[in-house]
Amino acid sequence: MVEEIKDQDFSQSIENAPTPVVVDFWASWCGPCKMLSPVIEEVSDELSGKAKFFKLNVDENPVTAAQFKIASIPTVMVFKNGNMVDKFVGFRPKDAIKDALEKHI
Amino acid sequence: MSNRYDIAIVGSGPAGLSAAINAKIRNKNIIIFGSSELSGKLIKAPKIDNYLGLPDITGIQLKDRFQHHVANMGIDITYERINTIYAMGQYFGIAVNEKMYEASAVILATGIEYTKALKGEEEFLGRGVGYCATCDAPLYRGKIVTIIGYNKEAEAEANYVNELAKKTYYIPMYRESLNLNENVEIVRDKVVEISGGNKVEKVILKSKEIVTDGVFVLKDSIAPDKLVPGLIMENGHIKVDMNMKTNIEGCFAAGDCVGKPYQYMKAAGQGQVAALNAVFYIDKN
Repeated sequence: MVEEIKDQDFSQSIENAPTPVVVDFWASWCGPCKMLSPVIEEVSDELSGKAKFFKLNVDENPVTAAQFKIASIPTVMVFKNGNMVDKFVGFRPKDAIKDALEKHI
Repeated sequence: MSNRYDIAIVGSGPAGLSAAINAKIRNKNIIIFGSSELSGKLIKAPKIDNYLGLPDITGIQLKDRFQHHVANMGIDITYERINTIYAMGQYFGIAVNEKMYEASAVILATGIEYTKALKGEEEFLGRGVGYCATCDAPLYRGKIVTIIGYNKEAEAEANYVNELAKKTYYIPMYRESLNLNENVEIVRDKVVEISGGNKVEKVILKSKEIVTDGVFVLKDSIAPDKLVPGLIMENGHIKVDMNMKTNIEGCFAAGDCVGKPYQYMKAAGQGQVAALNAVFYIDKN
């Protein structure tokens, strides 16, 4: 499951998570984001319990988007103990995403 | 909802057409994307002597034979330019501007005529460099954007970006007259490099430098790994095995885009192998 996250609860959710956290930065006007979101949803189900999945709308949450210098979306970031340890930009197929995430799990 | 094709073939050169006729013979529901001249390279060939069975033929004559062949089989070519192909797992989403096609399998037969990347372009991709201005423009609201345009279509995107950006520069990579809003600053100069630190900071030209927050590179054709995100390349070509399979399940490739030699018969042969394996893939799933 992918949960919606917002500026105000961002740092707390990232820092207090017991597992790695994956954040999908998206917006409603972004075509590739729409394609990526069901793929991330599938990955989140398959990695359920091993990582926590969030999505953040960059239009509604400009503070976090600016903090992480999001220059292109979709951007997916992986956090461990509150620190960003990996990111990728643009659409990826499911297998590629799973491979990338499993390195951190 | 959109109906899903069995196989989508991208490209109407010998590889794509051979894939199309073989998939059609196997009774698959196909769509093939291409151009009315089939292949820009084919029509430019003055004389071809190594196409078995058709000696001493010109490129245009061979194109006519190809056209006749596919028309006889009831294959229509869709004249649309594909922006991105998304591997969704069970199917492929094929985006043409705002429109989306779906297919269970894809055969890439795009040839090898894509423009070489600019210095710094790939390095800063996603860190200020983008290929779709309409997609990412809202991220540059109130900022400085530079557009490097390889075709007339890029001008409309520049005009759109200009509505949001604080400042828009347009660097045309062609000679025709431009149709741009007056606020867009036209820079006629040679691009040397896109440079920066963590992200894009400037575009270095032959005679000056432009300080910028973002750069959009808008080209006619894009490299296969940009067309199909996640596709693995090797030495400038799509990596395939003997069955014309790429690293993405259900995605096949054939012709010049998979490697040398760049020849018509080799392309047609690979198109056939790709089509038969795509048929096998669909029947299995």
